[in-house]
Parts: sequence; structure tokens; C-alpha cells
Amino acid sequence: MAADSPSSVRKVVVHLRATGDAPILKQAKFKIPGTDKFAKVIDFLCRQLHRETLFVYVNSAFSPNPDELVIDLYNNFGFDGKLVVNYACSMAWG
Amino acid sequence: MSAFPPWSWVPCPKQPWGASASHDVEGYLSLENIILSCYAQEEHDEISCPQKEETSCSEKEELIDIATLVQSNCSKVPYYDLHIIYSASYRVPVLFFRAYYSDGEPLGFNAIEKDLPAHSAKALLDSKWTFITQEEHPYLNRPWFKLHPCGTSEWMKLLFHVDVSVAKNGVTIELYLLSWLSVVGQVVGLRIPLEMLNQP
Repeated sequence: MAADSPSSVRKVVVHLRATGDAPILKQAKFKIPGTDKFAKVIDFLCRQLHRETLFVYVNSAFSPNPDELVIDLYNNFGFDGKLVVNYACSMAWG
Repeated sequence: MSAFPPWSWVPCPKQPWGASASHDVEGYLSLENIILSCYAQEEHDEISCPQKEETSCSEKEELIDIATLVQSNCSKVPYYDLHIIYSASYRVPVLFFRAYYSDGEPLGFNAIEKDLPAHSAKALLDSKWTFITQEEHPYLNRPWFKLHPCGTSEWMKLLFHVDVSVAKNGVTIELYLLSWLSVVGQVVGLRIPLEMLNQP
């Protein structure tokens, strides 16, 4: 067995969940380093869904600042070993 | 994390023609003279580095003029006044704000747009849920910028829709405002400490 990674490179399981009329991703579960910023999750979602902006939030009625670290979000809002991230289309003009 | 002072409540005399009951209080939440977090961090770095160099250079008879270093950056730093005002017509809180340099010169819309965190500036242009308009402040009778409230109730519904405890128990005004501010605050770079939302 490989040795455990040091906590500084611990990965967080992120589960992306479509809400409202947002399209559902084929692959919705990912692992991301805890030291990454939430902005990476947002950017990933935007690229996957080909959208400039999305409304992104976690289960406690909170929309995290993109500068927050994923590990901090997991520690505060994670449940059952994963961080659920909800997304909705923010309805661009037109 | 930048340490802002707490918001303060500014009561305002009710308009005499208002139909509200006599015990209603009108007013707004105010947070003034703040610097967006990106600037606050830069200033801190500027101040700490010269001090370090000064002690190590003291033998070399080199003087670093710290005052000049800080001042030349301070004059370009915009200050923000933020007010949260309830909109009776949209039935949601609305963020009013204005920005000005330390000499009092106000920032126009284009300057503010350049000053806002880059990701929010992009979102503002693209989204119909968050966009900035200019309008007369309801109590101060001067033009302020505001984040238009027309999309607020839609994204607030989404925010609370997934929170099971809210569906059961409803939500307090404090929690409502925290959730609301987590979205609206991103436009001006306000960060809510995560621990605040974990209170039962």
C-alpha cells in the first residue's frame, strides 16, 4: 500500500448537481486537491457546460467566494465524504 | 481574510405619506469606507516588506522612504460605501454602493467595473440576475449604484430550495441576509467567514 498522502495534498470528492433547468453532466463526481480554489470548480463547470457564467452554491444556502479553498468548503459544508456543489444557469440575456 | 467592521443600522425617519404601521422602523444597513479585499492585501504587503529591508540594510546607510511607498498606492485605492436597503416593490434586500478615491473624487461606472474582482465583472455583463444600475438612493437623495434586484428572488429560491432544514423550519432574517450576502458580496469582493454559516 502506498503511504498516505500528506494532508496538504489531500483530495476532496466533489459531487456536481444540476438544479433548476441546468443541464446534467454525464460525469458528475470528481476529485480535486483541497488546496485548489473554488474558482477551479466554477471554471470547470463553465467549460463543461459551455457557459460564461453559472450560479454555483453549496447545500447550506451559500454561494462560496471563488477564492475559498476547496478543503475549507469541504470542512464546513462537506457531508458523507463529499462536497455537493449545486449549479444553475444564470439566464444570460436573450 | 480582511477584517471589516460590523455593519451598522442607520434608522431613517419614515416618509409622512407612507402607509406603514406606526411601529415599523425604516432604515438601512451600512458599511462604509472599506477597501476591496484585493487592495487590502496589496497594502499589507507593501508595508511589511520595507520594514524587513530596513533592518537588514541599516548598516549600509540606505534609507527607504516608507511613507512615500504607502502613500503613492493609497491615493489610487478606491473606498466603497455599501448600504443594504429593503425594496418594498421587489420584496428583497438591495445592495446600494458608491466608490470614491481618498480625495473624495467619485468613481464612475467604468472605473468601478475595472476595479471589481475580475470574475464578477464578467458575470455582471453576462447575467440577467446581477447587473448594476444607477439610481437615486431612497434616503440620501444622491445617485448611487445598485445591484438590480429583479433576479434576486429567483436565485434566493434556488439557494434555499436545496436546504432541507429550511424547507422544514423556514429561515431567520439573519440567515437569509447571510445567504443573500454570499452572492451579492462576491460582486464587491466581500467574503463571509465560513464559520458564520455553521451555527445551528
